Amino acid sequence: MFDRISIRYKLIVLLGLSAALALLISSVITIYSIYLSESRASLRVLHQLTDVISENMRAALAFGDAQSASTMLASLRADAHVRLALVSDEAGQPLAEYRALGLPGALGDRLLADVQARMQDSADVLRRPGGSVEQTDNDFMGVLRPVFFEGAPIGVLAVVSDTGVMWAKIRELVLLQVATSVVTLVLLLFLSVKLQSLFTRPIMELVEAMEDVAQTKNYRAVLAAARRDEFGTLHGGFNAMLAEIRERDDLLSRLATTDALTGLANRRHAMDALQTMLARAQRKGDPVGIIMLDIDAFKAVNDRYGHPAGDRVIQEVARVLQANAREYDVVARLGGEEFLVACDGGTQEATVTMAERIRTGVEACRIQDSADTSLHVTVSLGVHSAVPQCAQEDIEQMIRAADQALYRAKEAGRNRYVVA
Amino acid sequence: MLPGVLALLVVLQAPWAWAGDEERKLEAVFIGRFASYIEWPAKPRERFVITLLDDNPFGTLLDDLYRDKRIHNKPIELRYATRLEQVGETDALFITLTSASARAAAIQHAQRNGILTISEAKGFAESGGIIQLDFVEQKARIKINHAAAVKSGLRIGAPLLSIATVLRGDKP
Repeated sequence: MFDRISIRYKLIVLLGLSAALALLISSVITIYSIYLSESRASLRVLHQLTDVISENMRAALAFGDAQSASTMLASLRADAHVRLALVSDEAGQPLAEYRALGLPGALGDRLLADVQARMQDSADVLRRPGGSVEQTDNDFMGVLRPVFFEGAPIGVLAVVSDTGVMWAKIRELVLLQVATSVVTLVLLLFLSVKLQSLFTRPIMELVEAMEDVAQTKNYRAVLAAARRDEFGTLHGGFNAMLAEIRERDDLLSRLATTDALTGLANRRHAMDALQTMLARAQRKGDPVGIIMLDIDAFKAVNDRYGHPAGDRVIQEVARVLQANAREYDVVARLGGEEFLVACDGGTQEATVTMAERIRTGVEACRIQDSADTSLHVTVSLGVHSAVPQCAQEDIEQMIRAADQALYRAKEAGRNRYVVA
Repeated sequence: MLPGVLALLVVLQAPWAWAGDEERKLEAVFIGRFASYIEWPAKPRERFVITLLDDNPFGTLLDDLYRDKRIHNKPIELRYATRLEQVGETDALFITLTSASARAAAIQHAQRNGILTISEAKGFAESGGIIQLDFVEQKARIKINHAAAVKSGLRIGAPLLSIATVLRGDKP
């Protein structure tokens, strides 16, 4: 499922999830730290309260004055969150008690029982100077502290408050945090939608270029690679790969279209090129000249001087052909010692001129066989020129005509040209 | 018949007897605690002296209670006097005299010498004594004559005043 989603949406989802996770963690930590600090602050207030009350309570405890103790505890009414207070004498007997107005009786009894149980459980701590006991749960928190007279404990004071203030602050904070988180998340998602293109654009460009190359087979396409980051490397790699494909294609094309010994066009390429030439000439009504050429007595050269010498003869004839052909003519080795020259726009006169030039060029050529031996060969040529009417048929007809003229040149004694 | 009546009387009186013992103990404790809330004019004595004038209702209670204890960082010395003339230099004077005139004389002596006076006699505070202590239903009631304390050169701490009935002049 996830692998079907576009990378840009994956990025948005990823950025959104990361932001949400970061906000969640930070919110939890913040709220927990606020809970701790608020809890400590509330307990600190209770400690301060018990400090003040115990100072005043000392005389009441010292003289067992329950009425004064009750009056002092009644002053706690000023703080609506103080729910219960208890002062006990050194024997653990309650001297005075305070319950907030509206505190349900059962709840008050439970709180009182909890406080008294804690007093008994922590009796040792509550006899030490500076000793105090904290009691906290979700709904209530309390502080118990001993009251000393002349260095000896004479009672214990306990004040219990509800945690309403603390939870109210935490609720406010949670609401604020949720609101802040939602706004931040929306902003981050908006930014991630905008920023994802920074990452996805180079990838999409690459994908488009790959699709384009796959469709058009145009391996000469080049992707802009001005970036210096990993995308730049990726684009550069893509361009290098295309360049390698181009080089390989060129090599394959060269191998497929040229003759390995002479570097001239091979038969297949010559036929293709000739067909293109004829089609163009047919369209324009121009003539095309064809010269078929064969090295005279080539078998004797091979037999007498060996195949390497024969190859050198073929290469030398090819050089003469190329030297006398124009750039837009087709020069090909059809096989063995047989060659073809197709002259674009070649009238009979121009083609004959070229044929004679080739013949004399080959005739004049001295091919070095060894330090003191040189060869010399001649060629026979069949010349034909015509304005093509139908490209496919004319190829065969024109070649056949030139070939028959070549045959006649051979018959006539070699080292000459014959016009068809 | 008679043993039965006696036994009934013993049973009926036992709680009161118990209450009396407890009150006496508290009274003994309170004498020292009063002292903690009161400042005396500086005196060159090395001991804090508590003197009991006339009958001793505490038995050995005071000795047991204040042995090895300190008040205002001084060791406590207990003295027992039967006549005013026997009262020497002292810091606190617990008066059990039954005669009003004898008590008045003792109060006069105390005021002249900067002595804290304590008694459980009715009308003690109104007649110039500083602290009157009595128990009603096992609960202590403290009455303080602040003017008398000032006259004696004593300063009484606010916490003690806050739990006591304070006479300013002759009226509460």
